[in-house]
Amino acid sequence: MEKIASSKLGREVKAGERVWLPLDLVVIRDFAGPNAILQFEEITKGRGKVFDPERIAITFDYQVPAKDEKVANNQKICREFAERQGIKHFFDVNAGIGQHVLLERGLVTPGSVIIGTDSHMNLLGAVESFSVGVGNTDVVAGFILGKLWFRIPQSVKMVFNGRLSYPVTSKDLALFFVSEMGGDGANYLSVEFYGEVIDSFSLADRITLSSMVTETSGKIGFMVPNDEVKAFLEERVGKSVEIIEADPDAEYLEIREYDVSGLEPLISCPHVPENVKKVRDLRGVKVDEVFIGSCTNGRYEDFKVAYDYLLRVGKGFNPRVRVIFTPSTKEVALRLLREGIASAFVEAGGVFTNPGCSLCTIGHHGILASGEVLLSTSNRNFQGKLGRGSYVYLSSPLTAIASAITGEITDPRDLL
Amino acid sequence: MALLRGKAWVFGDNIDTDLIYHGKYLPLTDPREMAKHAMEYVPGMEDFSKRVSPGDFVVAGRNFGSGSSREHAVLCLKYLGVAGVIAESISRIYYRNAINNGFLVLECPNISKKVKTGDELEVDPESGLIRNLSSGEELFGHPLSGLEREIMEKGGLIEHIRSLMEG
Repeated sequence: MEKIASSKLGREVKAGERVWLPLDLVVIRDFAGPNAILQFEEITKGRGKVFDPERIAITFDYQVPAKDEKVANNQKICREFAERQGIKHFFDVNAGIGQHVLLERGLVTPGSVIIGTDSHMNLLGAVESFSVGVGNTDVVAGFILGKLWFRIPQSVKMVFNGRLSYPVTSKDLALFFVSEMGGDGANYLSVEFYGEVIDSFSLADRITLSSMVTETSGKIGFMVPNDEVKAFLEERVGKSVEIIEADPDAEYLEIREYDVSGLEPLISCPHVPENVKKVRDLRGVKVDEVFIGSCTNGRYEDFKVAYDYLLRVGKGFNPRVRVIFTPSTKEVALRLLREGIASAFVEAGGVFTNPGCSLCTIGHHGILASGEVLLSTSNRNFQGKLGRGSYVYLSSPLTAIASAITGEITDPRDLL
Repeated sequence: MALLRGKAWVFGDNIDTDLIYHGKYLPLTDPREMAKHAMEYVPGMEDFSKRVSPGDFVVAGRNFGSGSSREHAVLCLKYLGVAGVIAESISRIYYRNAINNGFLVLECPNISKKVKTGDELEVDPESGLIRNLSSGEELFGHPLSGLEREIMEKGGLIEHIRSLMEG
């Protein structure tokens, strides 16, 4: 983190300093975007120009397509703003979850500084971008100044060695990390992930882990891209990218090392993400709904692994359970459709939706009645978030698909 | 910044942004409307917005404001007239949003155990000193420093930008 800030400012920056960093991208969504635009228009008396239309992006993912008149009007405010300001990086209701879209469209590089109105903006730390979630006032500052104030965080180093063995996934590691760190354990901190497990992680795995840093109140979670991730970035950006390596003498507030070879499938229980237990200790808890998707587990690989498991078990879903699949982006959706994965989910009894935030934002679909239980691959299980009196558990796509088949919380090892 | 005096409303740990301001009200853009829904999803606090008086403090345990980047969660309390949030820890986005809106946030160890709902507090935002006038106990919060304090003193980030634009 100090290294990124230092390179941006052309001088040595130390943790704890307050600095104004120039922004490579300012991102708004149909959520909080309209508030920022209205504030911007007010402060600039309707005559203002953004600092650089090339460095603004607008992504719709919150309630897409619009679910009511208020949301429709909010989206209209954003569309008209994009038109008026000449913002070309504009992605409408068909595109998908913002951070994922930006990544696929080559707008994110290692060392870039990005702000956006999404608390999981920081999942882009998976490709070493310093991306942070902010409120609409910060965005207004970004629109006008092209820079923003930051307190440079201290860093914690997490080293995960060993090997995860099927059906244990990156999500189980992410839940392990959240339980070790606690809900505020990384508050104001930057987390750097290292070790054999991280080296072997695909981009999808990295996104799963980095997105869960928010659930420890962490500012950002960085992973140094491996060859596969670097190749992906270069293909998308259209030019070579430079990887950032921490200095050998970098200072850490703390270094924690783990051998995670013995890790088992984990699950986060209501109503806080840090409430993590072993899936096998919750066997038999009835589920009413299962959700696979979100910015945490909405990549192609997340659905593919669930699909392969479904084929292997050879049974459809428990007819009592609503099983909802939401790809993160249009690109992921098209591949799932093309490869017959989406149709297999629908044939098994599931619902396949358009890309977006889906269940994670209340008000669109999949809302729960009081007393109902959801098993979700997303990142939060706050009390009442998805319906007053409901219960949300968080797991990997494999635990989720196994539980969709049986109708109760199921360790994915049990059906193999 | 002057001394502040008000009654405490004590909450537990992990008061997340959906408890402070539920996601279903996110399409609202008028902060006075937002204020009506403050703390509505905290069990037993459904009518908080009617019971709280201007100048009161929200006191909480660890990890206050975790979750969403929604600024509504700051604005709803601010427009309700709440003087500030004093918690054992405050999640980073909430902290930022509060500073940017000129809304007082103080971190203070053990505050949720040392203060009861209804206690009268006297808070010095400058030094971080918190006096519980009901129990006579003194607590020390972490005062704001540097840039954060500068932004707070201007009344928020927008005012700070205005002064930058004029200067």
